[in-house]
Amino acid sequence: MGIQQAITNERKIMNAMKMSKDGYLLLLHTDEWWNGLGREELEKYVAQSQAWLERLMASGKVKGGQALARNGAMVSGQNGHSITDGPFAESKEVIGGYLLLDVETFEEAVAIAKTVPGLALGRKVEVRPLTNVCPAEARLEELKREEELATA
Amino acid sequence: MNTQMKTGYMLLFVGTDWHKGLSPEEMQKVSEQWMAWFKRLTEQGKAVAGHPLERDGKTVSGKNGRVVADGPFAESKEAIGGYFLLDVATMDEAVAIARECPGLAYGAKVEVRAVRAECPLAGEAETQLTEATA
Repeated sequence: MGIQQAITNERKIMNAMKMSKDGYLLLLHTDEWWNGLGREELEKYVAQSQAWLERLMASGKVKGGQALARNGAMVSGQNGHSITDGPFAESKEVIGGYLLLDVETFEEAVAIAKTVPGLALGRKVEVRPLTNVCPAEARLEELKREEELATA
Repeated sequence: MNTQMKTGYMLLFVGTDWHKGLSPEEMQKVSEQWMAWFKRLTEQGKAVAGHPLERDGKTVSGKNGRVVADGPFAESKEAIGGYFLLDVATMDEAVAIARECPGLAYGAKVEVRAVRAECPLAGEAETQLTEATA
């Protein structure tokens, strides 16, 4: 691989990382709460949701978001030898969709989460800050610090 | 929709405690493997975004979001520790990538989910509406 190619690749990676460098992730939990709704209620909810999302996107605070199809696979075990079909865990813990938020503070992300339509009907939203630190690496740093303290 | 991609797959890394029992060397190794894995997928154009998630967060529920609870969420073995967004055409390909996850050998689990083209909220309800009126 030539130097130019290496630089191009590096730039591509940096751009891909930049897309999600900072911000917050809203994980929209689903428990099929809408099953109890009648047609009119559901129509009202859909209209509300669309208006809400349009408003939020117009504000420039959303940089990505999509619904997740209910079916999927769970991969686990060495070399991924175990592959099971969904649904996963209990249905109330299944993630139905996500929104990537481009906001500065956790408070702002929580404030947006509070406006998600469907909360009154039993929907739950998880708010998580994005990080640049790999969790295993963070734990490693923690261990190193503990060792240093123990030997200090 | 203002989205970076219309379709594709999402890998959700399930479990936030699987690396707790590892030695520093193992942790260093799996961390390097993980980054190399993401780098390669990005170079191949198969990963379009990805990130670890901070362990702490909040869960919002109830009318007008009046219930704001602290994390961690559910049991830590079910908590989401990070995600990759994949730009691949088939579920088989997404599962094949999930099987390369360096954490699997240590107990990490990867959930593979197809991403839909519709918006997260209305899309779900519309599906229900279609089914209800079919």
